Amino acid sequence: MPAEHIIKSYDEELNRLSKMIVEMGGLAESQLAAAIDAVIKRDSELAARVVEGDAKVDQLETELDNLAIRLLALRQPMARDLREIFVALKIASDLERICDYAANVAKRSIALSQSPPIQLVHALPRMAQFALLLVKDVITAYVEHDSDKALAIWTRDEELAGMYSSLFREFLTYMMEDPRNIGTCTHLLFMAKNIERIGDHATNIAENLYYLVHGTPLTQARPKGDKSSLEVVAPDRAESR
Amino acid sequence: MTSPVARPLASAPDAPDRSSPLDAPSPQARRPLSTALAQRVPAPEEATAMAIPADKVEMRNISFFYGKFQALHNISLPLYDRRVTAFIGPSGCGKSTLLRILNRIYELYPGQVATGEVYLDGTNILAPGLDLNWLRAKIGMVFQKPTPFPMSIYDNIAFGIRLYERLPRSELDDRVESALRRAALWDEVKDKLRQSGLSLSGGQQQRLCIARAIAVEPEILLLDEPASALDPLSTQRIEELIAELKVDYCIAMVTHNMQQAARSSDYTAFLYLGELVEFDETERIFTHPKVRHTEDYITGRFG
Repeated sequence: MPAEHIIKSYDEELNRLSKMIVEMGGLAESQLAAAIDAVIKRDSELAARVVEGDAKVDQLETELDNLAIRLLALRQPMARDLREIFVALKIASDLERICDYAANVAKRSIALSQSPPIQLVHALPRMAQFALLLVKDVITAYVEHDSDKALAIWTRDEELAGMYSSLFREFLTYMMEDPRNIGTCTHLLFMAKNIERIGDHATNIAENLYYLVHGTPLTQARPKGDKSSLEVVAPDRAESR
Repeated sequence: MTSPVARPLASAPDAPDRSSPLDAPSPQARRPLSTALAQRVPAPEEATAMAIPADKVEMRNISFFYGKFQALHNISLPLYDRRVTAFIGPSGCGKSTLLRILNRIYELYPGQVATGEVYLDGTNILAPGLDLNWLRAKIGMVFQKPTPFPMSIYDNIAFGIRLYERLPRSELDDRVESALRRAALWDEVKDKLRQSGLSLSGGQQQRLCIARAIAVEPEILLLDEPASALDPLSTQRIEELIAELKVDYCIAMVTHNMQQAARSSDYTAFLYLGELVEFDETERIFTHPKVRHTEDYITGRFG
């Protein structure tokens, strides 16, 4: 870690900023974990708590914004310090979005638990666990200012996107097989998309972390694992299954 | 330039293709500032070359000694034409010393010696026998504390001009007005030109000193913490003035105010304990310096 500032209160404020990020990150993790739990256990009460918990994250983000504005106005940060604050602002908004998606997943799980349970729900938690791991690891990488870890997360997101693609095809197949699956599968599809987006935000955080450490943006093209946007449904293909 | 030996102004020291009015063969032939400024509008080929600034000054392996104490170690650094270069670094790092070498003002003190070369448009200005009047007409300096002469505002400006030129009264008036306008002071003093320069406020005095420096039509301006004794508004006026003056001059500035260096300069040199740690574009120095030590300094950490 870099040497300390001559002005101690400056260090304290910067530390507080990064602690707030870690706190938001922890909240993002627990919100997502609870949302997944709610899906698996068909627990509407837990899901409702996740939806309510989202307000706490919004509040934390506002606090962080205020602290960052204060630091920018009063300390006139330069170089690494400036990146630290700039990146904290960006990461905070990514974490806030992650929590929004977790709340969305929870909300849809309430709807899901009102329809009969189906086997295919289990593919979703697997994907969600993977996303949760990405979020956890990216927060750890942030705490350690470890750009190698950040880079690893950045490439691992490809796998999550791949999982989304195959879930997408799977859901399509189920819907074609039995129109009664359409309601459930539509919810599941949105949830899968939300979880896939969580991975993208974890990736954003990884990119910002790289910039924070190196001062230059990550310029290579990111590998893309999600091909579902190119997917076309052909009736004969469904019949052949 | 085969032998970079000092020559008096009369021998037109630098490359003949540069037609700066200040390379005119003798001080007596200098033209009024207004004409001079008109001629400084870059020719088309010069304008295209603006992207890569021309070296105005090239310092090579400069070392400096206060008696036995070595204050600067082997510093090599360019100063680009029509750009502002800021020298930053903690007290005692040698940044003011470096500035003082450029107009050889250190020679006024015994025991102070500079080694190395400083080329101004190809002429080594550290060479012995150089005409110091020629040098100091080319290089104007403004100090931390405003130092107006104890004479009228008008005479503060006219004094320097009279040293070099004998002008009819009306022309001298024009030159004084032009210099005061360039220093953004004219409107504030035009009705009291006969009052003492010392009657002005600190910020006005400093602009008077800048007007005095540019009245003799230098090519380089050295500013040694020009705004450090001024209030924030006067400071901003000086910074705005620097931005206007750099269109015509090569400016080197020492400042303790990092934000000021970041705002006003194009290039920044960071010095520490007499060594040049890093020299780069100002934007680079203040966003992503290459050397850790520079970053520690500009972010307010111990080096």
